[in-house]
Amino acid sequence: MDWQAVRLSVQLASLTTLVLLGLALPLAYWLAFTQRRWKFLVEAVVAMPLVLPPTVLGFYLLMALGPRSPLGWLWERAFGHTLPFSFEGLLLASVLYSLPFMVQPLASAFAGVERGLIEASWCLGESRFRTFVRVIVPLSWGGILTGLVLSFAHTLGEFGVVLMVGGNLPGRTRTVSIAIYDQVQAMDYGPAARTAALLLGVSFLVLTLTYALRRSQRKPWTLI
Amino acid sequence: MDAHLICDAERRYPGGATIEARFEVPLDGFSVTVLFGPSGSGKTTVLRLLAGLERVDQGRIRAGGEAWSDAAQNIHLGPQARNLGFLSQDYDLFPHLSVYANLGYGLGDLEASARQARTEELLELLDLRGLGERRPAELSGGQRQRVALGRALARRPRLLLLDEPFTALDRPAQLRLRRELRELLRGLALPTVLVTHDRDEALHLGDRIVVLDQGRVCQSGDIQRAFDRPTDPAVARILGVETVVRGRVEGVAEGLATVAVGPARIFAADPGGLGQQAFVCIRGEDVAVERQGVAPSGSTARNRLPGTITTLHAEGALVRLSLDCGFPLECLVTRQACQDLGLVEGDAVTAILKAAAVHLIPHD
Amino acid sequence: MTRLAQLLLSLFLGLNLSLGAAPPRRLAIAAAADLQFALVDLKAAFAKTHPETELALTFGSSGNFYTQLTQKAPFDLFLSADLSYPKKLVEAGLADGASLATYSRGHLVLWVPKTSPIPVETLGMKALLHPAARKVAMANPRYAPYGKAAEAALLKLGLLEAVQPHLVLGDNIAQTAQFVQSGAADIGILALSLAMAPVMQASGRYVEVPLDAYPPLEQGGVIPNHSQNRADALAFRAFLLSPEGLAILRRYGFQAGGA
Repeated sequence: MDWQAVRLSVQLASLTTLVLLGLALPLAYWLAFTQRRWKFLVEAVVAMPLVLPPTVLGFYLLMALGPRSPLGWLWERAFGHTLPFSFEGLLLASVLYSLPFMVQPLASAFAGVERGLIEASWCLGESRFRTFVRVIVPLSWGGILTGLVLSFAHTLGEFGVVLMVGGNLPGRTRTVSIAIYDQVQAMDYGPAARTAALLLGVSFLVLTLTYALRRSQRKPWTLI
Repeated sequence: MDAHLICDAERRYPGGATIEARFEVPLDGFSVTVLFGPSGSGKTTVLRLLAGLERVDQGRIRAGGEAWSDAAQNIHLGPQARNLGFLSQDYDLFPHLSVYANLGYGLGDLEASARQARTEELLELLDLRGLGERRPAELSGGQRQRVALGRALARRPRLLLLDEPFTALDRPAQLRLRRELRELLRGLALPTVLVTHDRDEALHLGDRIVVLDQGRVCQSGDIQRAFDRPTDPAVARILGVETVVRGRVEGVAEGLATVAVGPARIFAADPGGLGQQAFVCIRGEDVAVERQGVAPSGSTARNRLPGTITTLHAEGALVRLSLDCGFPLECLVTRQACQDLGLVEGDAVTAILKAAAVHLIPHD
Repeated sequence: MTRLAQLLLSLFLGLNLSLGAAPPRRLAIAAAADLQFALVDLKAAFAKTHPETELALTFGSSGNFYTQLTQKAPFDLFLSADLSYPKKLVEAGLADGASLATYSRGHLVLWVPKTSPIPVETLGMKALLHPAARKVAMANPRYAPYGKAAEAALLKLGLLEAVQPHLVLGDNIAQTAQFVQSGAADIGILALSLAMAPVMQASGRYVEVPLDAYPPLEQGGVIPNHSQNRADALAFRAFLLSPEGLAILRRYGFQAGGA
């Protein structure tokens, strides 16, 4: 069992989820409440990682972040190493790749909050921001939980993007899914099977907990 | 001017519908202004414009000299800045908060002790003692309404907006709460705008009325005057004046006008400015009925119209008679009276009507 | 906060903190997949004399590594199954020509699982035409050196057209070996070094592909210019070319090649 890879994957997944939460809260709020007519364009862009093959995303990221690109060049000057083939590069790739898994449940939950409640809060003197914090977020906890769990699980299972952007460096970018791949290639089936079983168990546990917690919500099949 | 809310605004919808609202609401001390009209007339939209929940497309809304909305100058104060209390039709109590927390929701600016004191005060005022820890889902309709009202009053607003506050309740609760509400508002000296489509409710609660029809304000002002003297047939119809028929003005003499409606001739008080034609408006309550053949023994009623009862319809304690006196005439009498006279459909009767109760609207 | 939540939080945060701790001297090696087993032994031997250096091994196809290295992938030493890749890096000015070294020649074998009905020993290359050879595993000729060599061999022996429809391509030679070893493919053109690994010896039979059928697979390595640990890279290179290192390589069928 490659514990280093497991730790790395857990770290990547948890950091990705945190970063995504920060990014997705304002984005999902905008998507849920804006009246702009070009909202559908943003929705499509957000949903792209759902249908894009991971290798395509990985390819473009490699081009956009490599040492020959402006961003990659800046990064290298600042930190001494390239953005691809680093944990930070993986983090960036994972955030982009798991974006819809956080944004969509959040936006759906926000939009589901009854407008009357939001307006009541405004009439009681609360700003849009405070209304968001005191009314919208508490009433959207189901969607937030779904977003957190899905993003975490999705990042944990990532393979194609990690392979393209990561470089399979042990301890730095060899996530647990890459480790399984490596073990199989090395015909080390025992550890591979054990690692795979661990992932399976964790995923099942996490999903069961989430479904159990959401039992009180009456909508049955909302994405998760 | 300073102690008034002046609304002179329009809201346009993409489909083409326009809501025009032109009226005034006094802001000094206790008064209830009723926004009255049939469903779909735009009453709720007007209320939302006052609240700042809808934007003004043209015109302005000024309160006490302060501009709340001004389309020309691109001013729009959100509801947060208007210091009003708003009660929606669904009450919109926060389901994840207790009654206590709901009441104190808008009091974030106060210190904890002040907030607690005010919340206790509200629980007392609205008879919600003991319900503080409950969630809205555990309350009855009437209790929820009181919590919503308390919540709206918490910040001591200078204007209260109520959207059909009693519609969701059963009739006995409605009647009881109407009385309580008016007393409460009087005690708080709070100017209020109330939306309703129920005529009795309007009459019970309102001091002033704004009549809306198809997005336009048709009449506004003192409530009794509006009911007694509707300015046009649409208003009359909306206010529930039962009989509205066209007539040809035959003559006017000494303040009394004679109007021919079909074969019948009606005497009415001269409103002035009569031309050749006029609408004749008669409230059902103002028509008395006698059996034909009874000799007139002298009364102040100028109109005695022979006719027959075409239909008879019981409405609770009253009976609605549809008469044919050469024109359709609606009449409301007590069930008791109807039984005493043994009135049935087809009976020949005489409708008795005071000239002063006949309302003429010039209509050329 | 519940105990479970505390536990989970410390798991994440604790782990996050540990990643920040400074590691021992790290040597990242990008190694051709045919060194899969040999390099593990080499690492163990090297660690005895250089305990303060941590060897991080990444196996893959040499062609892929070349591409990654042009993008400055953080490897300190590149051991390629095809010397042309390190040479290209030197030509592009991305690696130090002085560090260029060959350590052996790669050999191709034809491999079947022990239980296979295909008699490779008697048929030789003609075994590829055996009816039981429904799926033939080969490394991807576009970027895997063993794949290129295998394709060249098939072409030279006039077998390419017949075998083409049955080909299953592996990303690198190790994956190719795994295809056959697991039974997903019926027969494979593999690296001798992999066939000589204990796990492969135990589960299969092989025969060598005639040496004159394909251009020599010169295996060598180079130190990229952007390496962060030249000192250790040079030390390992020296070890690899030392008698002890070469002996280990020979155990896996790597015959000591040029200088």
